[in-house]
Amino acid sequence: MDDWLIAIIKVVCIWVWVLLIAVVMTWVERRGAALIQDRPGPNRAGPWGLFQPLADGIKLFTKEEIIPTKAQKLLYIMGPLLFSVPAFSAYAVVPFGDKIILGGKEIILQVSDVNIGFLFILAIGSMAVYGVILGGWGSNNKYSILGGLRSTAQMVSYEVPLGLALLAIVFVYGTFSLRDISLAQQGTFLGFLPNWGIFKQPLGFILFIVAAYAEANRVPFDLPEAESEIVSGYHTEYGSMRLGLYLFGEYVNLVTISGVIVALYFGSWHMPYIDLGAYLGPISWGIVSFCIFFLKVSFFLWMFVWVRWTLPRFRYDQVMGLGWRGLIPLGLFNIFITALFIQLTV
Amino acid sequence: MDLYFWVFASMSVLAGLFTIAARDALPSAMGLLTVFIALASLYLHLHAPLIAIFQVAIYAGAILILVVFVIMLLMAPGERLAAIQANVSYRGAGALLGLCLIGLVAVGTKGVSEIVSMKALPEGFGNPSMFGDLFFRDFLLHFEVVSVLLLVALIGGIYLCKKKL
Repeated sequence: MDDWLIAIIKVVCIWVWVLLIAVVMTWVERRGAALIQDRPGPNRAGPWGLFQPLADGIKLFTKEEIIPTKAQKLLYIMGPLLFSVPAFSAYAVVPFGDKIILGGKEIILQVSDVNIGFLFILAIGSMAVYGVILGGWGSNNKYSILGGLRSTAQMVSYEVPLGLALLAIVFVYGTFSLRDISLAQQGTFLGFLPNWGIFKQPLGFILFIVAAYAEANRVPFDLPEAESEIVSGYHTEYGSMRLGLYLFGEYVNLVTISGVIVALYFGSWHMPYIDLGAYLGPISWGIVSFCIFFLKVSFFLWMFVWVRWTLPRFRYDQVMGLGWRGLIPLGLFNIFITALFIQLTV
Repeated sequence: MDLYFWVFASMSVLAGLFTIAARDALPSAMGLLTVFIALASLYLHLHAPLIAIFQVAIYAGAILILVVFVIMLLMAPGERLAAIQANVSYRGAGALLGLCLIGLVAVGTKGVSEIVSMKALPEGFGNPSMFGDLFFRDFLLHFEVVSVLLLVALIGGIYLCKKKL
């Protein structure tokens, strides 16, 4: 009974927390854009415009729900749901801290430490494409179908380098569990570097982050929704909260991707050089590890915004060329080098 | 009575019926997606999480997406392949192939009732490492033969779509 209660509390807390970050991210995105473009940005609602997401949410909720006459109703309604449900459930295997001991019970700060850890993320991530496809197809609009087509091709293509980068990580750590990988990143590497994934897999990290940007449909890979060419692509016909689910699901995806990047490549909850867990009590270490983890996550979230307002969009053939001719050979090369290194050293 | 089994088994059968009965191509593909996910849930119930994940990641996440991609390239929303659906010879061929498949399944499941007996699972059943052992130690030759076959298929595919090499 206790275990069930703990599991439910963990699920609810992390869910609310991820949603909260996603809400704040919509604000950070607009303020970040304003900062980079040297203008004030939304600054009227509350201090520094912090209540802007709230206002936007109320606006989306109270808008009229319109279903276009020629839309395929069922598909049109299912689209946003199929997009947001995988996004909301992917965080289940990503850790958010080390562990906390409450009343003599050890609680790991992760919803579920399954041994198939990031295979789960890959599987769930590939489900998100269906939301985009159904949205584009169900709207029965040429721009939307184009957006849906583009995103299908793009997401299928970039799943391959993503998988190859993850495979190299499995070679290094010998496990699929994100918690075990996090635990293995304590201490130092070669005597002076923090023992983080990025120093063992520098090429793998670059592959992963490029492929992850493409999977999340973010600039410079936002071809599926390119406003200037196909008028927001698959969500052209959407309004009110259905559109909200698409936009919101995207930010939730960003949180998950940042969490995975931190857990795999940036030492999860470990501080470089100092093992804080040895100095702090069990409860305070739980809280501190949570804070360290989300400090790192917030950096990567900011990087998403930073890149979005700095880089222009790729042309479509450039996106496909980069995926198939650039990243996949590099990913195979990375696997080869990693395997060779492991063979020679172990 | 195992409620979990019955829920997902009936879900996969119903979704399978929907897949072949649906008139539009994309809803039909969505029916197939439901079948895959229901089957994955059944694998999870049988303590085979890795196969469940493969089911979702490969069948639902890659193969079906290619099918959907082809549908989106070749058809418009609401368009029906009425000419093909009305063609009697296609229907006859479909019925024949379906009967063959049912026959194959019937032959294949002969004697299954003898296999189905409760057995304790070996230690570490369904672990990724156990999979690795099976693939890369016990059945290495078979695995390599399949990979050569896939390579040949890949080269054949490129040869077929390139107009001049």
